[in-house]
Amino acid sequence: MNYQAPVRTTLLEVRDLRTEFQTPSGTVTAVDGVSFSVERGERVAVVGESGSGKSAMAMSILRLLAWPGRLAAGEVRLDGRDIARLSEGQLNAVRGRLVGTVFQDPMSSLDPVMRISKQMIEPIMRNLKLNRQEARDEAVKWLGKVGIPEPERRIEAFPFEMSGGMRQRVMIAMALSCQPRLVIADEPTTALDVTIQAQIVEVLKNLTAEAGAAMLFITHDLGLVARFAHKVAVMYAGRIVEFGRVEDIFARPAHPYTQSLLGTIPSTEMLKSERLPQIPGLPPDMRKPIVGCAFRERCGAAHDRCAVEPPVLSERGPDHSAACWTDKGLTDSISLKPKSSARTNKPFEPDGSVVVELNALWKQFNVSRKTTVRAVNGVNLRVHKGETLGIVGESGCGKSTVARLLLGLEKPTSGDIFISGLAQMVFQDPSASFNPKMRIGDIVAEPLVVKSRGAKLERDEAVRRLIGQVGLDASFIERYPHQLSGGQRQRVAVARALALNPSVVVADEPTSALDVSVRAQIINLLADLKHDLGISFVFISHDLLTVRYISDRIAVMYLGEVVEYGAAEEVFADPRHPYTKALIDAVPVPDPVIESRRSSVPLEGELPSPLNLPRGCAFASRCPIATDLCRAEKPTLPTHELSRQVACHYAV
Amino acid sequence: MAEYATKKLAQMLITVLGVITLVFFTLRLIPGDAASAMAGDTLSGEALQRLREQMGLDEPLFAQYFGFLLDIATLNLGETITTRVPIAELILRAMPITLTIALGTIVLSVLISIPLGTLAAYMAHKGKRWLDNALTGTAMVVDLMPSFWTALVLLLIFSLALGWFPASGQLNWSNPGGVALRLALPIIVLSLSQVAMLARITRTAVLEVLNEDYVRTARSLGWSELRVLFRHALKNAALPVATIVGLSFGNLLGGTVIVEFIFTIPGLGNLLIAGINSRDYQLVQTLIVLYALIFVVINFATDLVYKALDPRVQF
Repeated sequence: MNYQAPVRTTLLEVRDLRTEFQTPSGTVTAVDGVSFSVERGERVAVVGESGSGKSAMAMSILRLLAWPGRLAAGEVRLDGRDIARLSEGQLNAVRGRLVGTVFQDPMSSLDPVMRISKQMIEPIMRNLKLNRQEARDEAVKWLGKVGIPEPERRIEAFPFEMSGGMRQRVMIAMALSCQPRLVIADEPTTALDVTIQAQIVEVLKNLTAEAGAAMLFITHDLGLVARFAHKVAVMYAGRIVEFGRVEDIFARPAHPYTQSLLGTIPSTEMLKSERLPQIPGLPPDMRKPIVGCAFRERCGAAHDRCAVEPPVLSERGPDHSAACWTDKGLTDSISLKPKSSARTNKPFEPDGSVVVELNALWKQFNVSRKTTVRAVNGVNLRVHKGETLGIVGESGCGKSTVARLLLGLEKPTSGDIFISGLAQMVFQDPSASFNPKMRIGDIVAEPLVVKSRGAKLERDEAVRRLIGQVGLDASFIERYPHQLSGGQRQRVAVARALALNPSVVVADEPTSALDVSVRAQIINLLADLKHDLGISFVFISHDLLTVRYISDRIAVMYLGEVVEYGAAEEVFADPRHPYTKALIDAVPVPDPVIESRRSSVPLEGELPSPLNLPRGCAFASRCPIATDLCRAEKPTLPTHELSRQVACHYAV
Repeated sequence: MAEYATKKLAQMLITVLGVITLVFFTLRLIPGDAASAMAGDTLSGEALQRLREQMGLDEPLFAQYFGFLLDIATLNLGETITTRVPIAELILRAMPITLTIALGTIVLSVLISIPLGTLAAYMAHKGKRWLDNALTGTAMVVDLMPSFWTALVLLLIFSLALGWFPASGQLNWSNPGGVALRLALPIIVLSLSQVAMLARITRTAVLEVLNEDYVRTARSLGWSELRVLFRHALKNAALPVATIVGLSFGNLLGGTVIVEFIFTIPGLGNLLIAGINSRDYQLVQTLIVLYALIFVVINFATDLVYKALDPRVQF
């Protein structure tokens, strides 16, 4: 046995992978003949929307699929072994040791009744053949590396004693501590705030590079891909439709789906008067067999051949392949842009009147006799007629509390709220905000019924008009919420919000639960409504690119205070508050060229507890330029000025 | 943990005091009074008055109440009204028997139901539902059979027809084998419904935990299925199961009364029935307080177990 295999650089090779789910309504082929390879030390991003099979594919690689999922066919070669044919025992020697895994939801991915030490040390002992003390030292070392303060002490914590960001760091430390060759990260930052996401991505990137491990990174966020990946696999309906180096995918996308996806993201040059390009329709129903190309019904370049023969991946350049029968996919002649990309009808003319005014608004929640959460601390804001105000900030900054105060769902501790007319709400998760037993027509009519507006006939008329206004046809009136897709449900939510003719609509993360290709449809809808009806919007989101596109003015909130306010373009182009700067820096931009030029020093630390606020500037504990002045004296904002305002002693 | 236990202990004492108060005043609510209810039509006015004095019923209500509290605190429980045997002595003789039946039932049913429920859950998790279906079906049939009926059937078959277990006779603690044979059938009868319930609860709890993300994490670290099942799934599933075991103890105490009666076992249950039959208020009152006390102690123990199992539990 002196023969030594030649040094191979391919670490993971997947061939014709098929993953099936047996459901009562038939076999769903979640992954349908996927082939790709990952070289040693390479970071490959797998991009796709929900249902594209990206997670099922990643889980198939380790055979971690839960019943009724099953690896139906194909080969997964990792370092020469075929995972698909290993026994359970052999597989367990690969899991954890050769492949480390980081999952999406840090809140639920650690055993809640076990100390971190126990969860970390025992895998290290087993995989690296170390004794308990050595393994413990190793675990502490990794916890330190992923940026957990006081690792010797924190290793004895239970998961519930840590924040989501800290738990995800623990997951990363766990995955890396057994020195794997491959790290599979399944949407590892989706549940986290942008600033924490930036920190986690940086940790993952640096530590895998340091260890020389390859990474398979599953995400739906094209910005993260640009920041992170060497290569990209774009998945649609269970297949890889495009694969290539990250620069090629972003600069020269060849598949119409990739091209459309990149087009739907609001870019910085885009004019607000233009509608976002949107992908029409919905992804296919995976329970039904797909004939031909799965994307053809949403594709501007589709022709006869696409309907009969599914395209296979073909060379489009070095290391670049795409599965499309049309050579260059969409070109200028067959554009994906909607025909009337600029709005032609006359826009609503704002008259400068104030629709919403918040004066010195404070809100405190008494958690117990001793502790008080200070959620909103002296917020002054105005929204003018026909204007969209974007509120951004990390979770816990008080933006949702402001929304709830505005709608009268909470009573302010002090301060007053003026609303001219009526405020209505659109929630993040439309499926959770509907009664599943009510028909769409009744859901939309509900506000009218509650306020006893109009007779039955008039209400029916109003429902038809509202449903049409949000771009759905009248057949939806008789349907139930579960028969609708996420995007359609959000349209219904908008229709319901419009029923009482509100002067302002508060939208709290209205697009966060939606897939990328559907998101643009909803953003266009909201922008159209503002344009046509002159409704004011308060748009709360952590998606800064969307906020920038849709908002006229922006308020950046931190720990219950507005730290910067101004016209959207100005704030984004020239952020003056260090927190705004950090927030904008944290958001990955879907352009690998820009990303590679950006500094990669994310904002440190996490949002301090709103239980005991600092005396001086709330941001001082995380601010790179904070001085003694900041810690002693709180910078303030002038009230209700339209011009740029920054609450910072050192704003430039 | 010590702080938690102290706090729970204080809560427990308050509950016990509440139960004693409730028992005392409820019994005083009956029309007439305890003495006349006891005597029925047998005693004349003067004799009845003597009985009242003897029972202390002529004293003011609150004096009686505090006297009752004091008696319980000092374990001065009095004597039975007809046979003049100290109640404390009766309880001391009967309680070990009943507790043996109850604890024996808990141990037996936990030993059977947890592996059974876990196995059913595990197989269902892997898509093999036959054991799950069989278990659910059997549990439903068992639940439909009242324990007095199963008790009679088992008594007929195994004691009277086959003669495997003695159906009557003294319980002599110096002969543990004899005690075991005598108590086996009651324990089995009570365990049937306990197993039916606990196995289903375990099955549901384990099945739920097996779908949790942290179980997937454990698998992704390369732990074997057995270890995933025992170290992660069972440990987390134990939380709801422990709660239910504690709560079901109350039902179980009720169940012992029935089986003790059917199998003529001289435990607390038969003592209670005797007390009711002879209208011995002192005895019944004391036994109710005792039952409540046992129940509260078991709840206290459940809380401690729960706290030990789940670090997230606060007060």
